[in-house]
This record gives sequence, C-alpha cells and structure tokens, in this order.
Amino acid sequence: MSMTTKSLETTAGDVRDRARRPARGRRSSGRKLRRAGWLMVMPAVAHTIVWIAIPVVATFVLSFTDYEVFSAPSFIGLDNYVELWNDDIFRKATWNTVVYTFFTVPFSMAVAVVVAVFLNQKIRFRAAFRATFFLPQVTATVAIAMVWLWMYNPQYGLINAVLSFFGLPSQAWLDDPDLALWSVILVGIWQGIGMKMLIYLAALQNIDPNLYEAASLDGASSVRQFFSITLPMLKPATFFVFVVSIIGAFQVFDQVYVLTDGGPANATTMMTYEVYRAAFQDFRMGLACAQSVVLFAFLLVLTVINRRLTGGDDQ
Amino acid sequence: MSGEGTSERSGRRSAAEPSAEQARSRARPGDTSGEGTSERSGRRSAAEPSAEQARSRARPEDTSIAERRPATTRQRGRARNVVLTVVLGVGAFTMIVPFLWMVLTSVKSPEDLATFPPSFWPDEWVWSNYTDALDAAPFGTYFRNSLIIATGHTSITLVFAAMAGYALARIPFRGREFVFMGFVAMLMIPTYTKIVPQFLIVKFMPLFGGNDILGQGGSGWLNTWWALLIPGGLSPFAIFLFRQFYLSLPRELEEAARIDGLGELRIWAQVYTPLIKPAIATVALLTFQDSWNNFLWPLLVTTRDDLRVIQVGLAVFQQQESTAWAYLMAGTTLATVPMVLLFLVAQRYFIQGFANAGIK
Repeated sequence: MSMTTKSLETTAGDVRDRARRPARGRRSSGRKLRRAGWLMVMPAVAHTIVWIAIPVVATFVLSFTDYEVFSAPSFIGLDNYVELWNDDIFRKATWNTVVYTFFTVPFSMAVAVVVAVFLNQKIRFRAAFRATFFLPQVTATVAIAMVWLWMYNPQYGLINAVLSFFGLPSQAWLDDPDLALWSVILVGIWQGIGMKMLIYLAALQNIDPNLYEAASLDGASSVRQFFSITLPMLKPATFFVFVVSIIGAFQVFDQVYVLTDGGPANATTMMTYEVYRAAFQDFRMGLACAQSVVLFAFLLVLTVINRRLTGGDDQ
Repeated sequence: MSGEGTSERSGRRSAAEPSAEQARSRARPGDTSGEGTSERSGRRSAAEPSAEQARSRARPEDTSIAERRPATTRQRGRARNVVLTVVLGVGAFTMIVPFLWMVLTSVKSPEDLATFPPSFWPDEWVWSNYTDALDAAPFGTYFRNSLIIATGHTSITLVFAAMAGYALARIPFRGREFVFMGFVAMLMIPTYTKIVPQFLIVKFMPLFGGNDILGQGGSGWLNTWWALLIPGGLSPFAIFLFRQFYLSLPRELEEAARIDGLGELRIWAQVYTPLIKPAIATVALLTFQDSWNNFLWPLLVTTRDDLRVIQVGLAVFQQQESTAWAYLMAGTTLATVPMVLLFLVAQRYFIQGFANAGIK
C-alpha cells in the first residue's frame, strides 16, 4: 500500500515536474529569443537612428537657427523662412523644380505605360527591348549627363548634327536660358522611362487575362480595352510610380550639376541645388536646412494630394 | 521578366518545401504577410475559378470562332506585332544611341571630333585614348575606390540588413512592430531632408581626424574611408526587402531548428538565408548599383583626389578639361561599363528587385 502511494506520489511528482520543466524552459527560451531579436536588429536600428532619425530632426531644428559651422548655431526663429520667401533665386529654384517634375514625371509615365503594354504582348526580342529601355536606369546619372552634355554641345554635338541634317538651325541647348531647362527635362524623361516601365510591366502581369478575353468577346477594340481595363487596373501601380517619381524628380541634382551648374542665369537651378549651394559653398547650414524643410513639405503635400485623388488604394 | 522571376522564386520555394512538407499549406498564409506577394497570390487565386469558368465557357465557342476567323485575324495580329516591334525598335534605338555615341566618341581622334557635322563612325579607331585618359586623370584610382565602396556597402547590407530583416520577420520580440514602423517611416525620408546634418555628424565625429571628444577642432570623418563606407552602408529599404523575403518562408523550419537547440544567428545564417539566395542577389545588386552610381555624398565628404569615386572624378575632370571629349567619354565608358555588364549578366535579379520594390 505504502509502496503504491509512494509510487503514485513519485509519478505525480514526476508528472508535475515534467509539466513544470518544459514550461520553465519555454519561458527562458522565450526570453533568450527576445534578446536575440533585439541583438540582431540593434546594429540596423543604431545606424538608422544616427544617420537618418537624428539628421531628420536636426534638419528641422537647425532650420530655425543661424549656423555657419565655425560658430555655434544661434536661434533666429523663422528668419530663414522669411529670407527664403523673399529670395528670388530660391523662388526661381522652386518654380524650376515644379516645372521639371511636372514635365518629366507625367511624360515618362505615359511613355512607360505604352512601352510596358507593348512589351506585355508576345512580340519578338521582348527581353532585349526591355533591357534596352531599362539600361539608362542602371547607369549613373552623372555618366549619362556627361554623355548628354556632349550630345548637346553647340559646336560639335550630335543633336545639332541631326538638326542640320534636316536643315534646321543649331541651338545652344544648355546655354540658352529659354532652352536649358527643357534640355534638362528631356534627359530626365529619357532616363526615367525604364524604372516606370518595369513597375508597370510587373503590374500588367497581375491583370487577369480573362478580363481582356471577355472584353474582346464583347467586341471592345484594343484601344478601348487599354482605357477601360488596363488603365483602371494599373491604378495602384500608377499611384506608386507617381509618388516615387515625384520624390525622385524633386530631388534632381546630378544632371543639373553636370549639365548646367544651375545656369544660365539660374534658369535651371533647383531646390536641391540651392541646398547644396547654401550648405556647401556658403556654409549657411541653417538656411540650407530651411530649404530642405520646404522641399520636404512639397513632397508631403504632393503625396497626400495624390493619395486623395487615387483613393489611396495603394495596397 | 518579373513574371518569370516570381514563378522562379515560387519554384525555388517549392523546392525548399519537401524539407518541411506540412509547411506547404502554411507557406501561403506566410505569403500574406508580405504585402506584395499577398496581393499577387490573392489575385491569382481569385483568378483561378474565373479561369476555369472561362475555359468551360470558351470551349463550345472555340470551334466556331476558329472557323469564323481563320487567316485574317491571324494576319492582322501579325501585322500588329510588326508595327509594335517597329515602334519599340525606334524607342529602343533612342535609348541606346547615347551609349553608342559615348563609346564611339571615346575612340575618335581630335581631328575627327572637331568636324561638324560629325561622322557617326570614327575615321580611325584610337584605342589609345583610353590609356591617355588614364594618364590625364587617375581614373584607375577612381575606379578602384568606387569598387571598394560599392563592395563595402554591399557587404554591410548583406550582413546587417539581412540580420535585421530576419529578426523583424521571424523573431517575436517586444517592440518589433514599433521598430518595423520606424524603418518604414525612415524609408520615406528624402535624401535632402537629412544630408546637411549627416555632413555635420561626419565633420564633428568625436576623436577622429583631430577632433576632441566633443567633435571640435579637426575634420572628423571628412576625407576618410569611414565617411564613404559607414553612413551609406545600410538603407531601410534593404531591411524592408529582407523582411519581406524572410516572411515568405515557412515557419516550421524555425520551430524545428529551435527545438534542435540552434541559436538564432545560426538559424538565420544556416537555415533561412540559404533559402532566399535569389533575394540576396537582388538586394546585393541594387545596393551595389546605388553605391556605384552615388554622386552627391562622395562629392560632399571627399576633396582628396586619392579618395574620389569615379562619378565625382568624372565631374571634376569635366570641370578642369572641359574640351577633352575623347578622354571624358573614355572615363564615362569606364564609369558605365561595370553596371551595364552587371545588368546584362544578372538582369533577372535586377528586374525582380525593381518589380518587387514597385509592387511592395
């Protein structure tokens, strides 16, 4: 009897023990897991805090200061913003940036949609075409701008050569204040097609082919199908492409630096170029930060407007 | 290509599945957490029933339509394809001409370059322009520097962004959602909203370049490899992409590995990472390309010729020798060719990466 109770007790104890032990193990392994998670994410978190989070906050804070690097920043309230408001060159830069964006983005998007739709057909050399259209996207903007600088050359450039072949007069593409911005815009359109085309192409492949089948059974022409099926189905992709392209276009810098240096007579200066000048040529860091904040505000407003317009169904 | 890319990825995924057979059923819900793939698989599954309906609907009509529209539609289709090909050909030519012109200019003689209108092909092919360009400016050094930095950025990203992406995807730790939202928020910050303070942090980096503990008195990280390698080493975008890739894998693997007593680092490095090799290639290529093509940051933090990257070297050479077009185009070709080659060799991963980034 005692034997049985004892054995019963031990088994009961064993059971209790066994029940407890894994539980304890799980709890401690859970803690270990959590610690491992933090340890693994830590380097990235630290890097992001130092090189993104702090700089963003600092940009806003410094925009209210007069700061010329060699002396400590001093708080001057909204003076930088007031100065920018009255600054003709910054206003010109803002206008140029807006013009640049609103010509490059829609034009290259329109071309990209058409190219993507064409490439989505079963045609020959599809892969080669796609690679060719994408090529300007993988090469550096500086290198590309260098080539265009040479092609725009007023004396020996390829573009004037083509014009003269058709009996048209040569142009000083980058030196003529009326033409310079358009010349920069053309490069922007040319380079921007590839990325947009690719995103559209990926989105096109997600469209249910039965929609087209049904439409063509109903006798809809392919142009009609494009406007009634393709474009509506591409709405989320369009929202995404638009936002990304606007953010990219607003930050145009490399080609301006190489092609025109902001000239002639500030005809092609951009907001980014003014940030660069203020911060790294005049060492007026506070003013440059205020310019960055204005740039950021523009991007924020444009993103929100676009989200409203497209119904924000980007996900 | 992106279509092929995704199908290939799912192919790889299914190759991984036998190791965790039950995982197959779970792998798809796993997909759902990756926003992009969820949309895709959602659409695909939505399309399936209708596809069946369509097939059954189409079958009776098939014969009649085939009888009714034999040669004419096929011909019209072929004619349409010819038109499409021609239009695309003209477009593609526009895309390729600047590159052709770059290479052709780089091998032209000075006399050749000084004629208007220029001949398309060089009168004589002056390959020595390349060696002369290397003498005129240290393009070799610039090239090497770009290579070091791009490789460095890629390595840092592959280790730390992948690690963070894994932790965010697979380890339930407190504050994980918050950290992830933080990365997503940082993802949207434009370059110019952070560039000035980034420069200041580099300049006032304590105890470097003659700086004291408060970062005063010297030049900090300016004109050092640190400035070129560290700030641009990690991007929230890479972390985000890695998280999505790790999320798409089945959970059984990690459970089994944890029961076997493997540490998280080993589960990450030896169990999960080998399963996302194509994704790693994608992130690596995008990082390498971004780094190779970067201009503004190296322009800001370096003034020494021996630390210049090729993009900055090109711009400086252009400012100094604005008429040496043959040399300039030779240098530009050097700056362009590695990316073009890399793209042609690994096109699939590039396109997959951009498509993924696009759909998100």
